[in-house]
Amino acid sequence: MNKTKKPNFTILFFSMILGIFMAGQLKQNIPILTPVTLSSIQATKYEINSVNKEIEDIEKLTMQRTEQLQILEGIALGDEDIIDILDAELENNKIAAGFEEVEGPGIIIRMEDNLAETAFGEEFDFDVIHDIDVLRIINDLRGAGAEAIDINGQRVLSISEIKCGGPIIRVNGKSLGAPFYISAIGDPKLLNAAINAPNTYAYALRTIDQLNIETTIEDHIVVPKYNGRFNFLYAKPLKEGD
Amino acid sequence: MKKSKGQLAITIVSLFLGIILAIQLKTVNKTVGDGVLPTQRAQQLAIELKKSQEDRDAAIKALDEAEAKINAYEKGEADNNIYAENLYKDLEKYRMLAGYADLEGPGIVLEIQDPPADVQFGEEYSIVDDLDLILQTISVLNAAEAEAISINDQRYTTFTEIERAGDHIEVNGVSINSPIVIKAIGNPSTLESALAFKRGIVYTLEYYDYNVHLAQETNVKIPKYRKLKEFIYAKPVEEEND
Repeated sequence: MNKTKKPNFTILFFSMILGIFMAGQLKQNIPILTPVTLSSIQATKYEINSVNKEIEDIEKLTMQRTEQLQILEGIALGDEDIIDILDAELENNKIAAGFEEVEGPGIIIRMEDNLAETAFGEEFDFDVIHDIDVLRIINDLRGAGAEAIDINGQRVLSISEIKCGGPIIRVNGKSLGAPFYISAIGDPKLLNAAINAPNTYAYALRTIDQLNIETTIEDHIVVPKYNGRFNFLYAKPLKEGD
Repeated sequence: MKKSKGQLAITIVSLFLGIILAIQLKTVNKTVGDGVLPTQRAQQLAIELKKSQEDRDAAIKALDEAEAKINAYEKGEADNNIYAENLYKDLEKYRMLAGYADLEGPGIVLEIQDPPADVQFGEEYSIVDDLDLILQTISVLNAAEAEAISINDQRYTTFTEIERAGDHIEVNGVSINSPIVIKAIGNPSTLESALAFKRGIVYTLEYYDYNVHLAQETNVKIPKYRKLKEFIYAKPVEEEND
């Protein structure tokens, strides 16, 4: 009786000491090690890269602005005329804003609902094109550097809405019906990859939802100018010192 | 007999303890990385990041200064001449739409925070997985006639892409992360009701456990686009009567 009780007691005693030491050890390490996970280092590295890229973009724009400033300073010397400068600047901003018809190489995407009798889903919802499908495809095209985009002749700008309205989609306040033709001007190879490469959104729409999406690369596309709403009632330019 | 039985039990328990300890240490090693080195590296990176961010702020300041000067010149010259003044007003309007002007005005602010950890049932997700919802939010705001939109202080322009990059979102090539703050200038009550619509954006976000704050504000400030958009492929269509 005595013999069996004694080892039990020692084991209990040593286990307790072991437990206390282990707890102490783990506690000690936590404050030093937790803030540095490998993924957080990766994230910081990534963030630095993206900030550096941003700086590059800003510097490019600053260079262009400095050139503009030099031209403006020419007015004082009588070399330049303010009206010419303003005209040229207006033209540039009109193109950037989408108020000019533009032409160039690019791709045309034709999107149509799944017309098969035995369609993919139990619901018709899966077989028709929704606003989000168009939004995603346009987002992908922008990611691939598209310079001008239109849907069935409606130029898509930053203030263009793309909304489902029953059987049609509304863009710039106009109703558009299927099939949708999306034309985008830009590097045809990149634009084509954004739509046709595996793992893109359009690829999933085509292979899983079996919507009819066809792309054609064109040498010459004309994208019309914007003709939707354009009135700033609420927004005012921010003036410094006001 | 009794003694060997007790020994066997202790052996098994010790074995288990050993295995558990080994697993614990291995996991800690894997997630934390080994030793002191990463800590130093992380500190270095943090310093580097801070420096990059300061550089960026300086670059933004330089750009702002150049643009303020340009504006002053243009405005000063335009005041001398009614034709030039009209040109300048037009120019300002197109700059506002193209995104090359800081804007302010009444509007709404929508803040989306990732779901708290305890309701996720072990499956973690964040707004990064729901880019669709951001795209739809913008489309809805545009349908409600928003005049300017920004996402985490990145101006939403005609060329803005919203892309997933690892566990970040890239907007205008700048990485942003949760919380997402979407600002819009326009009629505040229209914008708010468009988002707060039953089964609308706010409803959907809350359904997926995101923390959403939607508020009207009398003075929303939206920064300008800080990237030079060069048109390489798209050229304006020459009018035939030119």
